[in-house]
This record gives sequence, C-alpha cells and structure tokens, in this order.
Amino acid sequence: MLVDFELIKRAQKGESAAFNEIVLVYRKRILGTITRLIARPEDVEDVAQEVFLRLYFSLDQLRTAEVFEPWLHRLTVNAAYDYLRKQRRRQEFRMSDLSEQQVMLADAVAGGKVEHEEQYRKKIRESVQSLLGAVSEADRILLMLKEVEGLSLKELEKIYKVNENALKVRLFRARQRVLKAFGSAEAKEATGQSR
Amino acid sequence: MNSMRGNDDERFDALLRAYREACPTPEPSANFMPNLWQRIESRQSFTFSFQRMASAFVTAALALSIVLGVYLSIPRSYASYSQSYLEALAAANTLDTQDDDSPVTLDLSDLGR
Repeated sequence: MLVDFELIKRAQKGESAAFNEIVLVYRKRILGTITRLIARPEDVEDVAQEVFLRLYFSLDQLRTAEVFEPWLHRLTVNAAYDYLRKQRRRQEFRMSDLSEQQVMLADAVAGGKVEHEEQYRKKIRESVQSLLGAVSEADRILLMLKEVEGLSLKELEKIYKVNENALKVRLFRARQRVLKAFGSAEAKEATGQSR
Repeated sequence: MNSMRGNDDERFDALLRAYREACPTPEPSANFMPNLWQRIESRQSFTFSFQRMASAFVTAALALSIVLGVYLSIPRSYASYSQSYLEALAAANTLDTQDDDSPVTLDLSDLGR
C-alpha cells in the first residue's frame, strides 16, 4: 500500500490535507489505468476525478487498510464502466467498423513500419477499442485489467469479489470473442488484398 | 487450424503490448486538484440542499400527521347522521310553517255588499 492507514483515517475524519495527499499518491496510477481502459486521452482526467470524488464520499465506509487498494481499483473500474456505457450509447462500436486500415495496423505492429508515431498510437488505440467492441463493457474492462494492466487473478478476485475460477472462465470467453473478431478482421483484410 | 489460432494469439498479444505503449500515463494537469475540489464542493452543496429539502418535507409531514391525529381524536356528535330522512324532514317542518301548507280559504261573505 502506498499510503499509511493513519492518513486514510485522518481523511475519513474530514481532513482535506490528508485526502489531498492520498489523491497525489494514487493519481498517476489511476490516470494510467483509466487511459488504458477508455483510450480517450481527452476524457481521462475527468474520469479520474470522478474516481476520487467517489472515494471522497465513500471513504467513511472503509474499515481496514488491506482493502483500500482493491477498493480504489473497484471505484476506477466502476467509473470507467459508467463512462464506456455512456460512450457506447453515443457511438456504437460495431464489428463492421473494423476497417482494413485497422487490420493493417496489426501487421504494422509486427513489422514496425510506422511513419508518424502519434498517428500510429492513435490508430493502435482505435484498433484495439474496435476489437473490444466484440465484448461487453464489463468484460472489456476485465480483459484490459488482466492483459494490459497485468493484474493477477488474485488481485482481480479481490477487486471483483468473485471466485478465481469464475474469473478464468469469463476471461477465457472474452478473449475468445475478441480473438474471433481479430481473425475475422484479418480474413476480411486478406480478401480485400487478394482482389 | 490450431497453428492459425496460435498465430492469432501471438499477434493479438503483440497488439495489446503495442496498445499499452500507445497509452502512456498522462501527466495530471495543473487544474486537476482545483477541479476535483470544485466537484467535491458542488456535490456537497447539492447533497446539503437535498438533505434540507428532505428534512423540511419530513417535518411538514409530521406536523400534518399530528394535526390530523388531533382532529380525528376530538369527539363529535353524530346525531344528525342517526336521523332518518323523514325525521330530518319533520324537524325541518316546524309547527309555524305548517300554516303555510294549509289550503287557501277565501272569505266571500263581503262580496255581496
């Protein structure tokens, strides 16, 4: 744990300086996780603030030190989930949106043929986000936490309060769906190239 | 088929690694903390006004309940309700009003004069 439980206790009592310190310690980690979960740099800070806002108003419910980090992770997951659901309502990610350009990116990753770094990053983000459209927001976050954030099943178990086996099954199914979407996109691309 | 799947797995893993690199952790802006506190304060003031409204509503409901309780507990005479329609009608037609209902009589004795 990055902070002392005494600091959390002080924040629980309403000490603004203590809460500020907690935010400053965890802010970067939360910003990083949210960046990878939502892949929209312009909204990352807004979602991160929502996480800390929820933390502020629910801090008094925290009883033990060891649950603080999984709990903060859960708040992050929930805020990202709410954001993604709103986004999906605004703009549906459809599998048909997997353009040839996005499929080419997978090849570009392997070959490293990239001209403009930032443009390339943007395209990678869009490509992965489109692929993740094959699964629900909840599965997408779970998959990201495991595959990109590198959280262990034990850590995920604490965050989701779900049995490890159930998590494994869910992760496996989500990955299979995304892989299927990935395969279809590649097949589509291959057909396009052969014409 | 399996080798194709294995290939997809590897390519997908490579894509995820590239994704991680394509999403570097951003530096928080200078307004991060001020904006956060602004949001906290605005939520607090909303919660506070909502609590005040709820408490005013509860007080008003309690007062109304007390008033209704007092009103219902006062004993009242139900005599008027126990009367039958005919009894009520009879009570309304008192003796002095009966004269009005008697047939009209004309005194014709003076007409020949």
